[in-house]
Amino acid sequence: MALALPAFFFPSQKPSLLSSHWLGGADLHSYQHQYRLLKTRKKPCVGASLSERGEYHSQRPPTPLLDTINFPIHMKNLSIKELKQLADELRSDIIFHVSETGGHLGSSLGVVELTVALHHAFNAPQDKILWDVGHQSYPHKILTGRRDKMPTLRQKNGLSGFTKRSESEYDSFGAGHSSTSISAALGMAVGRDLKGRKNNVIAVIGDGAMTAGQAYEAMNNAGYLDSDMIVILNDNNQVSLPTANLDGPIPPVGALSSALSRLQSSRPLRELREVAKGVTKQIGGSMHELAAKVDEYARGMISGSGSTLFEELGLYYIGPVDGHNMDDLVTILKEVKSTKTTGPVFIHVVTEKGRGYPYAERAADKYHGVAKFDPASGKQFKSSTKTQSYTKYFAEALIAEAEVDKDIVAIHAAMGGGTGLNYFVRRFPARCFDVGIAEQHAVTFAAGLACEGLKPFCAIYSSFLQRAYDQVIHDVDLQKLPVRFAMDRAGLVGADGPTHCGSFDVTYMACLPNMVVMAPSDEAELFHMVATAAAIDDRPSCFRYPRGNGVGVPLPAGNKGVPLEVGKGRILIEGERVALLGYGAAVQACLAAASLVQQHGLKVTVADARFCKPLDRALVRSLVKSHEVLITVEEGSIGGFGSHVAQFMALDGLLDGTTKWRPMVLPDGYIDHGSPADQLEEAGLTPYHIAATVFSILGQTREALEIMS
Amino acid sequence: MSFGVVPGSSNQALHVWPNHVPATRIGGGYRWRVAPRRREGSWSAGLSSSSFRTRAAVDERGFVTAKGSFYELLGISEGGSYDEIKKAYKQLARKYHPDVSPPDRTEEYTRRFIEVQEAYETLSDPGRRALYDRDLTRGLHLAFSTRKRFDEELEDRSGWRDCWQDQISELKRRSMNKDVGENLSWGAQMRRQRAESSIE
Repeated sequence: MALALPAFFFPSQKPSLLSSHWLGGADLHSYQHQYRLLKTRKKPCVGASLSERGEYHSQRPPTPLLDTINFPIHMKNLSIKELKQLADELRSDIIFHVSETGGHLGSSLGVVELTVALHHAFNAPQDKILWDVGHQSYPHKILTGRRDKMPTLRQKNGLSGFTKRSESEYDSFGAGHSSTSISAALGMAVGRDLKGRKNNVIAVIGDGAMTAGQAYEAMNNAGYLDSDMIVILNDNNQVSLPTANLDGPIPPVGALSSALSRLQSSRPLRELREVAKGVTKQIGGSMHELAAKVDEYARGMISGSGSTLFEELGLYYIGPVDGHNMDDLVTILKEVKSTKTTGPVFIHVVTEKGRGYPYAERAADKYHGVAKFDPASGKQFKSSTKTQSYTKYFAEALIAEAEVDKDIVAIHAAMGGGTGLNYFVRRFPARCFDVGIAEQHAVTFAAGLACEGLKPFCAIYSSFLQRAYDQVIHDVDLQKLPVRFAMDRAGLVGADGPTHCGSFDVTYMACLPNMVVMAPSDEAELFHMVATAAAIDDRPSCFRYPRGNGVGVPLPAGNKGVPLEVGKGRILIEGERVALLGYGAAVQACLAAASLVQQHGLKVTVADARFCKPLDRALVRSLVKSHEVLITVEEGSIGGFGSHVAQFMALDGLLDGTTKWRPMVLPDGYIDHGSPADQLEEAGLTPYHIAATVFSILGQTREALEIMS
Repeated sequence: MSFGVVPGSSNQALHVWPNHVPATRIGGGYRWRVAPRRREGSWSAGLSSSSFRTRAAVDERGFVTAKGSFYELLGISEGGSYDEIKKAYKQLARKYHPDVSPPDRTEEYTRRFIEVQEAYETLSDPGRRALYDRDLTRGLHLAFSTRKRFDEELEDRSGWRDCWQDQISELKRRSMNKDVGENLSWGAQMRRQRAESSIE
């Protein structure tokens, strides 16, 4: 009975942190289990690396069964008991690997049983399994021949952190943004039908991704077309990221979550069903049809709006199902697979994010995304830096603005942590809006707020704003509504890869007629630009800032920036012959390049354009007049800042003289995941590349080669 | 130790586990401490009815457990904020912690401590608090019924299996009759074509 001792025999520990909860995790399906719990019992999950006392080992855990599985076909003949053991070993393997590389932990742990059951019941790669977003696909990757590559996860030339078609034939569809899986699955199902094939198509989507409209567009179409496919809703009641704010867990946003929760309480339905069964028994056997009808209506009435929502869309609802019970999962999947002509089937699986790793289960954010950590203690290794992230600076700037102006409100799309608005919501709980994964709605919602005289700041990642582009044009820019867009993660983003890369925002924002487009070159500029955006009240504006930390310049007093003069850049270094005109974070690379060039005896001018639109024309004119070469540098694609400069120069006659103009932009291709330094290297936008470009334009090829070697 | 739950029939015995020292329930998951032994029969019968009123309960030793809601126990208003709940909990936990309780009243203080613990766990989790508030307005005082909540969830979960088993049978039944009649869906037409082409 030693393990039953509660915390208050150890007064130094707080009772709520007692790790005796590992005694639970038992199968909840029978009362008899309670008696068995009285005996000492190892927690059924993570058996492989969990010692009797619940410790984790930092060495590689033993995984005898998993070692025999290289591909899903090796799982076909396993018994349920062996599948459970496989799931436990898979769990410890994931914890071990993610502890070494960092990555998305909680979501992967939650779907271990589901992944094992899917690969056991279905035949990938003929059967297509699509993982929405793809960040929960680590167990899938391990089981589909990529276990040995897991140490390279999210690194250059290594495994992607999401599903990727070019990586493996088992990854049916690439993902990174959410809510695309059902649409793609329907496309694959219809394609299969047209080609006359017979494979299964399964989409796994989370309840967070279900808050996006595209999921409903897809289900609506799926119900109509009636093609055979399976949609699995992975419901762990975590709708936003992180799954908590700074002070503790937060309830999920949106009405859908409570509808899904209601579905999980089956008691009233069961009682009614018992009654109905009793009644039909009395009426007689041939009333089977009637009883089925009663059942159908009863489900609709009692379950409320939940299952009927999916049923009305034309999907057959099954559930809720315990997503950590291997028996249940395998049974259901096999039954559905063996039934012909089902049309679209919707299986509602309930899981727990972070399941099987107590530190993750207890954490407020369920260890959604972690850096390298120590499995034994759950502590992440976060390096300390002198400066904070741009995200944090943005949040502080916005708070400072909102202190003086009560009309400022903030909107984000399920990314309270990533956008820094969790700090804002702590200070101004009523003025921050999390709309769920619904960027299109967020933008138009902000437009509506602006109509009423408020000052909305939409904090949406540069790549996620792509989804809301028409709303930006049609609802905001066309009507000239003063919505402010704070685009975080602009430029290359490192380990998340091309799906999260913010390379296009300068291009797609600066071509809009009414939009003010600006970019800070350091954190102090960010504070000023937040103030500038707050001050621009007659038209929409946007500013972009990269992932990463500030450079270490002094911050404005009280975190309150001073509005800049719109359309005015600044010169940072006065030099001669060559002018480097940078936009945004690229200015820092220009400064570094200038010092590299200085070592070879040339002092170049470095200017920070600050505004892409309206462009500082006087600055461009003066730079062209006094230099032989103008190089524009930005961490964005073609069609952005450099193109606007070139357009202006052409129209102004500045290209008719002897001055040379050269653009430096992101290359015309997608840069794979890797460290930020690696990606910048591949993009050709490091200070070395800029310095070498300076010399090669001047004809000093020797110096150019020296710098690049 | 008794719980403040009185099932429908007043003849039901209340359950005492005199030598059991309960640990605490953690977090929002479904994991549990060691469950106490229970008397056969009467407990489960009382549990299966889905609502019953609970007021004060007197156990065999004559201690009276508090009636009323978690809010009253913690001494805060029903609209209390997370900070208020936390503060109240910390105060009361310090007061009722068995280590600092007066020796003659350890048992009562311990029980109070557990109650306070449960109140905090329910009210600090916004989802559970929402459910609790809803039950409260419906007049169900499911106070201090950690045991009952566990069994409710257990029942819910076991109910799930019945539910989806029925759903699967229904799916199979439907699939027999699908794709017949006029106005076939696109998918049905394709299935029919595929079936015909495989017959040839």
